[in-house]
Amino acid sequence: MQKNKKGAEKIISVYWFAILFIVAGAMVYMVSSFYGKPYDVREIEAGLLTDKIAGCVSEAGYIQSVVLSQGFDNSFFDFCNLNFETEDAYGWKEQGQYYTEISIYNFNSEQVLSVIKEGNENLKEFCELGGGNLPVCLKRSLYTIAKDNSQYKIDILSVIRKTEKNA
Amino acid sequence: MKNLLRKNKRGNILTENIIFIVLNLAFITILLLFLFSRTGDASVLEEKYAKQIALLIDAAEPIMTIHLSMEDAIEIAEKENFPAGEIVKITGNVVTVKLGEDGGYSYSFFNDVDANANFDTLNKKEYYFVVNEKQ
Repeated sequence: MQKNKKGAEKIISVYWFAILFIVAGAMVYMVSSFYGKPYDVREIEAGLLTDKIAGCVSEAGYIQSVVLSQGFDNSFFDFCNLNFETEDAYGWKEQGQYYTEISIYNFNSEQVLSVIKEGNENLKEFCELGGGNLPVCLKRSLYTIAKDNSQYKIDILSVIRKTEKNA
Repeated sequence: MKNLLRKNKRGNILTENIIFIVLNLAFITILLLFLFSRTGDASVLEEKYAKQIALLIDAAEPIMTIHLSMEDAIEIAEKENFPAGEIVKITGNVVTVKLGEDGGYSYSFFNDVDANANFDTLNKKEYYFVVNEKQ
């Protein structure tokens, strides 16, 4: 009877260590997978880019008249204080890591008045697809008026790639 | 004789228990050391601060000063004998955070502003970033 008890104790001890190793293994795996992956900040970045563009094309609820003028594409970066250049890593300089598309509609007729596209347009294709290693897309709409009370709807699409450093 | 056996048996049980507890403690200590080493790793902090600073600048408007506490990063740099005033560098629109001679992490921001990184030499625990309009 005593022998059996001792045997049972040994089995419990082995069992206890097995549990410890399983728990430790799980912890090491979880910590490694969490800290091994980069922080994905692209959603926040896309949100900030959208906010920045929204604040640039519309001020205090009024659309900036220059936005509706022809050739705004050429002055977009200067007017909105944006710079889509990135660090020279993973061939990012050549590829372009940002894309933004601003569509301005007549609020009542839904007629497209102007579309401004800046950055790497190829990134837009990925917005329809799902997956962790793809660019992050964010689409927001805003309502604005002009000084003559004409109403506009503005759609802003922001796409950020930077996959290698975020996914 | 019977009493002597009993004493030995008790002694064995105590030794086994002590070994068991010591092994468990050693095991847990190693596990905790691993966890702390991963969470406070220099490369993790470099990435965290580079991205955080880039996002702060993206959200900033000209004539803003942003203070950021970087106590943990400064501690690691001091351990590595790396000057605290050279941890954060902003070149053009790229933020680079380095906590030692080797490595470093860079991340770009899209806000076209003049941003400068300055080490707070008074409290020696934070950096402040001055954001101005581009000349």
